[in-house]
Amino acid sequence: MVQYQQQLDQAFGALADPTRRGILERLGRGRATISELAEPFGISLTGLKKHVQVLEDADLVRTEKMGRTRWCSLGPQDLAEVQRWIVGYRLMLDERLDRLGELLERTEGENA
Amino acid sequence: MTQQQAPIHVATEGDREIVTERVFDAPRERVFQAFVDPELIPQWWGRRADTTTVDKMDVREGGEWRFVTDGPDGNTAFRGVYRAVQPPERLEQTFEWEGMPGHIVVETATFEDLGDGRTKVSTRSLFHTTEERDGMLASGMEIGLSESYERLDELLAAGGPVD
Repeated sequence: MVQYQQQLDQAFGALADPTRRGILERLGRGRATISELAEPFGISLTGLKKHVQVLEDADLVRTEKMGRTRWCSLGPQDLAEVQRWIVGYRLMLDERLDRLGELLERTEGENA
Repeated sequence: MTQQQAPIHVATEGDREIVTERVFDAPRERVFQAFVDPELIPQWWGRRADTTTVDKMDVREGGEWRFVTDGPDGNTAFRGVYRAVQPPERLEQTFEWEGMPGHIVVETATFEDLGDGRTKVSTRSLFHTTEERDGMLASGMEIGLSESYERLDELLAAGGPVD
């Protein structure tokens, strides 16, 4: 139970940051190198590596060094189901609110 | 007289909550309406890639909701119970994914009129572990019991049937 709660707390800490959520979203579409990840966020490689480290500590991401390149992908296969569920929930929540904004824009001027 | 209690959050809250804040360029009534109108839900609730269908939506305290989503990952459903419905200010409901039953999220949305035609929506999602869910249910039973006692007290005080 204690370990379970630590996992949850780490997952929440890791998800509290928009860049880290963006990284997870990107990795959901397939693995990427550190520099590929850094590019769309406009942050330094060092800054990105720190984010990846936090995600790795929470088992949300794993990295693998091949030659001179470090590849990142979504967490280990044995990643707690609950953590996956929380990540999915977080991403869904953001998307939901984005879509709500779009709906309100689309229906502006109409009677609710 | 037994004291009625507010709904209980059993969890030690700490880090297990997700809080968001968004400002929408629309009046508060319209934003609130999007949360409680079964015709609007399919237009925004859930992931973009999925189609959402409202199976059940009984928007009142204690009323149940169930939404079915269909998309690239297949078909699944979410369900819960409305715990507080206070238009146009606040909505509280439980959220449970049928793919992982027993993990309950208590979602609270508050709607703040910014006075310039815009609305700030703050959401708070509090996660409960299965063990806590069980605790929550147990507490719910206690509340239910004390409510029953309260009604019995009232009945007795009103000189109702005691035979």
